[in-house]
Amino acid sequence: MSDRILRIGLVGCGQIADAHLQQIRRASAAEAVAVCDVEPLLARQAAERFNVPMRFSNLKAMLREARPDVVHVTTPVHTHAPLTIQLLEAGVHVYVEKPFTVDAAEARQVIDVAERNGRLVCLGHDQLFDPEWLRVCEIVASGILGEIHHVDSVLGYPINGPFGRHVVASPDHWVRQLPGGLLQNTISHPLYRITEFLDDAEPMIQARWFSRLPEVPFPTELRVNLQGEKVSGSLLFTSTTKPYQRVTRLYGTEAGLEVDLNAQLVRFHRSDCYPGAFAKLEAPFQQLRESCGNLKRSVGRFVRGELHYFEGMKRLFENFYDVVREGASFEASAVCPPVSHQEAVRVTSIMDRIFEQCRDEPRDFAFSAECKTGNEKFTQAQCTREERSREAASELVGQGHLS
Amino acid sequence: MKVLLTGATGFLGKRVLRELLTRDIEVRCAVRASSRLDDINEIRTELGRQIEVVPVDLATEDGCHEVVSGCEVVYHLAASRVGCTSSLFQNSVVPTRELVRVASESDVRRFVLVSSLGVYGPQKLPRNATVDESCPVDEAPQLRDAYTYSKVVQEDIAWQTARENDLPLVVVRPGVIFGEERGILSHRVGLPFGSRLLRMGGRQRIPLTYVENCASGVVLAGLADGVDGQVFNLIDDALPTGRDLIRRYRKSGRRLRVIGIPQFAIPLLAWFNEKYSDWTQGQIPKVLSRHRIDAMWKPLCYSNEKAKRLLGWQPSIDVDTAITRTLSFSG
Repeated sequence: MSDRILRIGLVGCGQIADAHLQQIRRASAAEAVAVCDVEPLLARQAAERFNVPMRFSNLKAMLREARPDVVHVTTPVHTHAPLTIQLLEAGVHVYVEKPFTVDAAEARQVIDVAERNGRLVCLGHDQLFDPEWLRVCEIVASGILGEIHHVDSVLGYPINGPFGRHVVASPDHWVRQLPGGLLQNTISHPLYRITEFLDDAEPMIQARWFSRLPEVPFPTELRVNLQGEKVSGSLLFTSTTKPYQRVTRLYGTEAGLEVDLNAQLVRFHRSDCYPGAFAKLEAPFQQLRESCGNLKRSVGRFVRGELHYFEGMKRLFENFYDVVREGASFEASAVCPPVSHQEAVRVTSIMDRIFEQCRDEPRDFAFSAECKTGNEKFTQAQCTREERSREAASELVGQGHLS
Repeated sequence: MKVLLTGATGFLGKRVLRELLTRDIEVRCAVRASSRLDDINEIRTELGRQIEVVPVDLATEDGCHEVVSGCEVVYHLAASRVGCTSSLFQNSVVPTRELVRVASESDVRRFVLVSSLGVYGPQKLPRNATVDESCPVDEAPQLRDAYTYSKVVQEDIAWQTARENDLPLVVVRPGVIFGEERGILSHRVGLPFGSRLLRMGGRQRIPLTYVENCASGVVLAGLADGVDGQVFNLIDDALPTGRDLIRRYRKSGRRLRVIGIPQFAIPLLAWFNEKYSDWTQGQIPKVLSRHRIDAMWKPLCYSNEKAKRLLGWQPSIDVDTAITRTLSFSG
């Protein structure tokens, strides 16, 4: 396997599948050979637009005829676990789009199956492989910031965007049936930007959700404080402020740093060197110097064609594919995917605890009666998790997806 | 006679609803559960007529059966205009497949599908050729924008299902629909670039259709005799050029900063866009592919003769008046 191009399959041809197919095309030594969706029209549009040679509405048929080495799962979250388990048992390695599973119990089950079958699962924490994020990791490793004591992570979400509007308009949308609703589908990114530095298995958590939009009948705002042994973190998820940010701030014992993944820039916060009024000149001068450096860097990357929104996703794919090749040369249990199995379970478990707390203590924030109804629905949804997983799997079997 | 109307809360749909009601036709409107019904209620009050409104998911067979039952004619207008390709397919193509399939099993005597003039593939036509209903549909719609692609596949699925099941299908292909809530500057005139408009060419005719003219054409497509299996272009007469529209827009007191791209430069720009996009593996998407520019901005003539001849349609409001009305609308 190590000498040949990896054959990639993809199941679930919705919006995020476009990004996957585009980045698979860019990734070295890999080729998208098949797409699969329970709705044949969705498989058709994905295959035609990305020149994928085979398309299926039956997963077993795809595995049999396309013989992929790796399958990307880009279906709704409640189908991740049953599909991934099916794929692992069929002997393929699996890349799973975030969030990993509906909850940590499912996550553990998936990892157990992967390890039992000697196959790898990679969770799509792609922003950790964004060039600017990798640059931040290098800076942290160099010790310039000292020890990191706190991480702020912000995600702005366009609730009026095409996907958000659809979720708002559809009471039965699968996103709204998740235990954490829309937030569960979206907070992985800001959360793993914190957990990258906060490595406690069970940090203390304070979390609350609420809504500021009367027309939206479910929580659209989330505030979370995390407290680990050495590092703390705060997560801000907001649907009402602009611009829609993807910003992380690191607070170190020597200096601070801010990384903006949308603008692709890094800014430092340093202590003053000069006294009194001179310090007031020093700070803007430092900012000007940094801005020039960021501009030069961005122009260079633009000219080289490296400014892609999903650059991190492409790099994560390449890392995972390399590990898959390496695993084939030795054995899969001897290698670790770029986002480890343990990390996938840990982050899912933290998300579970965040949403448990949100459901338990919603009353301190002013939010609408409709939102309370939403909470009840989420609680019910959680109670029937196992039932739903079984139903989802049987529904897919019924429609020929897993048959 | 009772008809089913989908998309009745939309820009064109509410005009079609009004036109049907003024012809004393009983209308059932299939709407999404989340749709705002303000416009339908306003029409109901104004005309003093009963309108049956059924909230339904047209992507399901049961939902389609519920609304099709008892209707002689189906006017299918519901479609998404914005969003990614997969969501346009989910919201437009899948419901069309289900609705056509269910209608073909019912007592529907005419199914009218509102498609788009954009489905044509005039890439092989010479400049200034006439686009009429005999012009082929785009053979590579996946190279066009998401909306056009979804309309081509939607129409294809409808024709296929109708042929297999002997459903009397009529397809109307309106040009760029404009009116009080939708302005006159479409992508056929130019593309927005920051706060400016990149005017593409400027001397080519823009295939406009005023929303009220279009609505009357859509209604006639469901009522005219002997037109089963036909396609009709709905385009107004005396079409203006892109430059005319920009001039009218500015004359109305609105500010518009324009960067003019001359007709001869469009293919060069497209060539560069494609090469750069390939070289950078999509850092900038192929907005100006050579396939797309020929369909969008090539100077062509557009024929509405067939609709006039077989449907007895006349665009009763002339383009000039329609533009004035549109531009005077401040809402």
